[in-house]
Amino acid sequence: MTNAIKTPYPGTFYRRPTPDAEPYVDAGDRVSSGDIVGLVEVMKNFFEVTSTVDGTVERFLVENGDLVDADQDIAILAS
Amino acid sequence: MAGEVAEFEIVEGGLQTTVQDYPGRRGMLAQGFFPAGPMDHFAFRCANLLVGNDASAAGLEVTLGNVALRIESPAAIAVCGAPAPATLNGETVEPWQTIWAEAGSELRIGIAPGPGFRIYVAISGGIDVPILGGSRSTYTMGQLGGFEGRALREGDRLPLGETPGGASDALRRLKASELPDYSRDWEIEVLRGPQASPDFLTEDDVEALLSRVWKVDPNSNRTGIRLEPHQFSWARTGGGVAGGHPSNILDNSYPVGAVNVNGDLPVILGPDGPTAGGFICAATVAHAAFWKLGQLRPVGDTVRLREITLEQARELDRVLRRRLNETSLEDIE
Repeated sequence: MTNAIKTPYPGTFYRRPTPDAEPYVDAGDRVSSGDIVGLVEVMKNFFEVTSTVDGTVERFLVENGDLVDADQDIAILAS
Repeated sequence: MAGEVAEFEIVEGGLQTTVQDYPGRRGMLAQGFFPAGPMDHFAFRCANLLVGNDASAAGLEVTLGNVALRIESPAAIAVCGAPAPATLNGETVEPWQTIWAEAGSELRIGIAPGPGFRIYVAISGGIDVPILGGSRSTYTMGQLGGFEGRALREGDRLPLGETPGGASDALRRLKASELPDYSRDWEIEVLRGPQASPDFLTEDDVEALLSRVWKVDPNSNRTGIRLEPHQFSWARTGGGVAGGHPSNILDNSYPVGAVNVNGDLPVILGPDGPTAGGFICAATVAHAAFWKLGQLRPVGDTVRLREITLEQARELDRVLRRRLNETSLEDIE
């Protein structure tokens, strides 16, 4: 069974807390509900995107720096 | 219940939910205050009309959605603006109409999928936060007014004003003919200037400004709607004593809704924008079209600026004000 992590926010999606940092999560990592998986920059603010489910990240559907819309799937989890 | 203040509680705050009133904080430009107030003043004013509030009552501006609130005493509420899934105690809420909420009701608003970006909630009695400079509006850039000068978050408890004679339980809706048109590709009516051609921009520059389809930048907010950089030709080679770039002028006041050109970047100044600065304002959004700024989504929406005359702007405003009237409402059977 697979689940998607959605971003509740529209804006520019980032997989890292800062440009030099490691990504929050990579494909193959376990995530739990509430874990931060990325940031969305919108309205001159940064908002954390958290997983609402537990599972293993299968793959990301968007790249670092891509524009995303609200409610868009950003990663697929295998649970 | 005499002596008891009716309240509501924020259960979920969303992206940016603020207290606003219309027309906001007027007459304070000289002190450095843009008016704040609802970005979409049409939807906001409709919501107040539907719950029988005074036009000056404060309500909520919800950005995008993901908001929940618990209303602790019986009240009439209305949800207007961007279409978004909304429920009251789990039952679907229709937008642009009065809804009766019993004490303890929970209103939930999901994500607005577009078109539109901001949702307005009026509650009978209005939100009774302190008045600052003649208004209850939240001025986000100055972090003042509204509730503690900030966006609302989980656990905030806000007082409601008294409803003279008690909240009316008359249920009404905005007639379908009066509903505003929302789009992902907007046309916004503007007046030329105050600083356009021939003194600051060339005729071709103004033509480009008015014909180009501009993408809305994700970093747009209540301060301003950022468009895209554009290489203007400019009528001057520099800004003279005001600076090296031809977009520079000696600091002057900015009109609300100005299309401010900062170097190569046009920014439409929103309700929380700066009152003054040293860049030209090539055009100004007509007051009757200003509400559209509040519904621009920061990802995927486009804007075309359409020039109108001062007389046309006045007429648009007369039409808008006529629509904001009891005669635009009908009873729900």
